[in-house]
Amino acid sequence: MSDHPSRKDRTGLYREEALGRIQEAAAQWSRDYPRERERLDKFTTLSGLTVSPLYTPNSNARLDYLQDLGFPGQEPFTRGVYPTMYRGRTWTQRQLAGYGPPEETNKRYRFLLAAGAQGINGVFDYPTLRGYDSDDPEAFADAGRGGVAVDTLEDMQTLFEGIPIDRISVSLVTCQPICNISIQSMYFANALARGLSLHDLAGTSQNDFLMETAVSIAPRVSPPRVAFKLSCDAIEFCARYAKGWNPVSFAGYNYREAGCNAWQEVALVMANALACIEDMLRRGLRIDDFAPRLSFFFSAHSDFFEEVCKYRAARRLWSRLIQERFRPGNPRSQALRFHVQTAGVALTAQQPLNNIARAAYHAMSAALGGAQSVHVDGFDEALCTPTELASLTALRTQQILQLETRITHAIDPLAGSFFVEHLTEEMEKHIARLIDEIDGRGGVVKAVEEGWVHRIISDSAYKYQQAVESGEIPVVGVNCHRMAEEPYRPEIFAVPETLAVQEAKLKRIRTERNSGRAGQALDDIRRCAERDGNLMEVIVEAVKAEVSEGEISKVLKEIYGTWNPPLF
Amino acid sequence: MNPSGKLRILIAKPGLDGHDRGAKVVARALSNAGMEVIYSGLHQTPELIVNTAVDEDVDAIGLSILSGAHMTIFPRILDLLKEKGVEDILVFGGGTIPKKDRLALEAMGVGRIFTPGTDTRVIVDYLKETLG
Repeated sequence: MSDHPSRKDRTGLYREEALGRIQEAAAQWSRDYPRERERLDKFTTLSGLTVSPLYTPNSNARLDYLQDLGFPGQEPFTRGVYPTMYRGRTWTQRQLAGYGPPEETNKRYRFLLAAGAQGINGVFDYPTLRGYDSDDPEAFADAGRGGVAVDTLEDMQTLFEGIPIDRISVSLVTCQPICNISIQSMYFANALARGLSLHDLAGTSQNDFLMETAVSIAPRVSPPRVAFKLSCDAIEFCARYAKGWNPVSFAGYNYREAGCNAWQEVALVMANALACIEDMLRRGLRIDDFAPRLSFFFSAHSDFFEEVCKYRAARRLWSRLIQERFRPGNPRSQALRFHVQTAGVALTAQQPLNNIARAAYHAMSAALGGAQSVHVDGFDEALCTPTELASLTALRTQQILQLETRITHAIDPLAGSFFVEHLTEEMEKHIARLIDEIDGRGGVVKAVEEGWVHRIISDSAYKYQQAVESGEIPVVGVNCHRMAEEPYRPEIFAVPETLAVQEAKLKRIRTERNSGRAGQALDDIRRCAERDGNLMEVIVEAVKAEVSEGEISKVLKEIYGTWNPPLF
Repeated sequence: MNPSGKLRILIAKPGLDGHDRGAKVVARALSNAGMEVIYSGLHQTPELIVNTAVDEDVDAIGLSILSGAHMTIFPRILDLLKEKGVEDILVFGGGTIPKKDRLALEAMGVGRIFTPGTDTRVIVDYLKETLG
């Protein structure tokens, strides 16, 4: 364990005498500065932090290089989580794909891999995310929408047909724990059937309890404590049996899409992660057994510098929090690794080709912020599930960024910028303060139960909308530079027929499977729940008996009951 | 319009689509503009939505659909309103609904459909003018 110098023994970057002279000169410059010529009454980041006209060494007077910045691959990880960063390995180009029945999505996975994508990012349809089978009456018109329909182990086999899951890392966007506990189990069971060891698999599951209970909420979901348990069961399972897998990807991106701002995004994600860590420790694991595999998922929104500083602040704060609270032996337990998706909510239905530029800027902030993997949204994001062309263009955006701009050549190139270091520190303060507030309320699970998290997100969303409507936040094509006639109308993606296909499969599987074995599998789940055992252990076995996700969810809801989240 | 003189609007999210940011923002905007708003929350079946609309005696139903399932859901809502004899309830909506489909839905009897990027004041004015 490295020496941990007290924060009081700080060595500033600049000589006091130099700072003094600069301060004097800057004060004069400031007095002469023609404020009346400024275009706006105030200049702020998107989250409302003040931006001054100019930053100087005095803005970073207390910055201590070794304590606050350090080196890539070492605490506090501000400059990057790996020693070589993109000089060794670039971020993974991981474009989302998912629609219709699994045989259709399998084609898009292969298309993207053939076009140079470096990882799989699989999104699941609304019924699957909520734990329903495609033929459930609740699923109604939604099978195949928003992602791929997966009901059974056979679907998982079809989805990954011909894809070398032993050599490619696969991200399963199983947002809700009720979905993840079944779908990830199917993924693992499929890997085992292929003769692979779970320890050899590389990938990530989203598995975020806040997704089920505070964001994208619905009536009759798992109660917060149950969603939290399901999430932790999967984390524990992977810590023991699938050591290469990232069992959770705290989905700040989704909280941000729902409306919260940049520092709320990080604070909520960290509060969630801290609660998971505490639960793992309660279950008898040691911090180093699982913390290195906790992963994070952030948005890349439009305020370029705010996003870059957000990522740097997040890494530094996480490293400090883990060190202070848990004293790990392995510094990897303090390294915050993250995937980025460019902000969908920033893209417009109006003049959709403009979105290519937006997403490119977003992607650049992610790269300058040191992301481990990136998905770039398609230009048709506000219109439909991405077409092949939109998906391809997004992938090419990443490739151009990675191969042509050379921003990958120097690690953390924006470090030392007076503005960037100042804003990084501001972000860190705001994030830390909100984490303290959540702690003060009894932790994130309680904050969800009380509707407090829902309110934060909802209030921020409304504030943002008001700022757009007042023009304070300009959006080209929407509140400025509008056009009566759209210059270009993209093709709208048509989701292939899914319900009929899945219904037929489910009918066949339910008829042909060994019903005794299937019934026994569901009973095993019941008994495991009754003795508060690890549900993933028993569900990985259960899916081999060809029970469907819907059947598993029904059992879980029977036992644990459901919860209606507060509406605002 | 009900005795209080205020417009009563039901904002609903049908189906399993979880994207509710727009619906909540619109609900709040309408409420701030002086309307009585019932926000149904997510995960509502068409039957539940129409029953709520009838029970709450609303003037209009605003459907938020970002799943792509709009060509199934809107017509179903219109059919149910017809069955219950309450076709005078205005149906409007928003979401990821392309122009071709918007025109088709309007031809079926749906009111205006608002794309992403719509100013909430436009929706307020529309409802006041149409339901006036």
